[in-house]
Amino acid sequence: MAPPPSIAALDGWMARYQQADPEAPAALIGAISPGLLRFFRTQDLVSRQQADDLLQETWLRIHRVRHTYRPGQPVLPWVYAIARRVRVDGYRRTRRIRVHEIATEMPPEPRPRFENRNSLPAFETLVAVLPEAQREVVTMLKAGGLSLEEVARATSSTVGAVKQKASRAYERLRRLLQEENNELP
Amino acid sequence: MNCRDVERSLIEHENSGAACLPAQVHKHVSTCERCGEFMRALNPSIIAGAPAPEILRRLEDTLIAKLRPVRPLAPARYFFAAFAVIFILIVAAGAYRRGAAGISAMSPGQSITMLCALSASAGLLVYSLVHQMAPGSQHWISPTRLPAAVIGLLALLMAGLFHFLPERDYWGSGLACLRAGGPFALLAGATFWLLLRRGAGLSPRVTGTAAGLLAGLVTTSAQEIYCPILDVSHILTWHLGVALMGAVLGLAAGFAAEAKPLATRFAGAMGLKGAWRN
Repeated sequence: MAPPPSIAALDGWMARYQQADPEAPAALIGAISPGLLRFFRTQDLVSRQQADDLLQETWLRIHRVRHTYRPGQPVLPWVYAIARRVRVDGYRRTRRIRVHEIATEMPPEPRPRFENRNSLPAFETLVAVLPEAQREVVTMLKAGGLSLEEVARATSSTVGAVKQKASRAYERLRRLLQEENNELP
Repeated sequence: MNCRDVERSLIEHENSGAACLPAQVHKHVSTCERCGEFMRALNPSIIAGAPAPEILRRLEDTLIAKLRPVRPLAPARYFFAAFAVIFILIVAAGAYRRGAAGISAMSPGQSITMLCALSASAGLLVYSLVHQMAPGSQHWISPTRLPAAVIGLLALLMAGLFHFLPERDYWGSGLACLRAGGPFALLAGATFWLLLRRGAGLSPRVTGTAAGLLAGLVTTSAQEIYCPILDVSHILTWHLGVALMGAVLGLAAGFAAEAKPLATRFAGAMGLKGAWRN
């Protein structure tokens, strides 16, 4: 299996995908899917299977609307804007199912836990404590490898707003890590 | 250099990698335990959970089987021009059919201000809609806030430009004005929808609201040209009210579109759902 292309080469692969190059889907899926899966896993802490389903839906939708990618534009914001929408649809669907289930006592908010001073919580668990907008930004930046401008494009926002969200998220995470450290014996 | 500076530097050098951080940051991180831990916690290398290779392979096979060449969406400026031409043509048709008594009744200052404000509002909405058609486009103005801002600013402008005047038949003249202008909004809405469906509006509610408001503004613009009534209550209710109604109808249409998840429809139409899973 050939190694996935670099992020810079993805724009070219997307243009080839539009031209029905049979090598393009493999190149794009191989390069983008890991980041997408992490994106879904960090949002609402979905299970592995749910994340796989969302990944599938994202690629189906990408395939369906592939003509809306304009060659020369960065491909990652285009992909993540679609993934973001798939996540929202998935969340609504899950919520509809949940309201029909018997309500039980709500579990407590997940909090990242340290096993000891030398271990850190998983990234997914760590960012789960952030508000949705901040979590989304941090995940796109850290797990998706998007730049500030690309995150702004993917979220229909401005670079300034993305910087502000990232700054607040980092501040909160740092405070949280410190609190957890203080609680350790 | 303190811990806050490290955070700031991290944001400024986002995506350029830890190696590109200034030497001062590295020096601080090497001596500060908390910053070191913070940097490690955010390090993508500790993020686990890559997709299973067999899942990716099945997904690739499915997409390759359905692969057909597609023509990329036309550049944004073409769509911008198309929206603008439709807007102008329908307003011109309204003026041709109903006359320009409104322009004659208004002072030159009122005419110029109103027409400029309506054109600017329409331009901003078209800009927003054109960018919503292609996911991941750069938005300088938030598409969710724009419709509310346009309606609010137009209402303020109209309230400032016009005064309360005695009107003999408020409801009769208002409904006549609405009946005369309504069809233009419907025509504009249908034409805008034909253009919009070429793109991929990811948020039907937001796109529907903006498109409905734009269609309503076609009627508002035509009414400003042909309607000679200058009473502010008439203008706010029966002229701007049409634009507001268009936005509400567009929002309702967006809600209806979102009620049935798009992904399910796509997958069902393509016969792909579940095709690659065990």
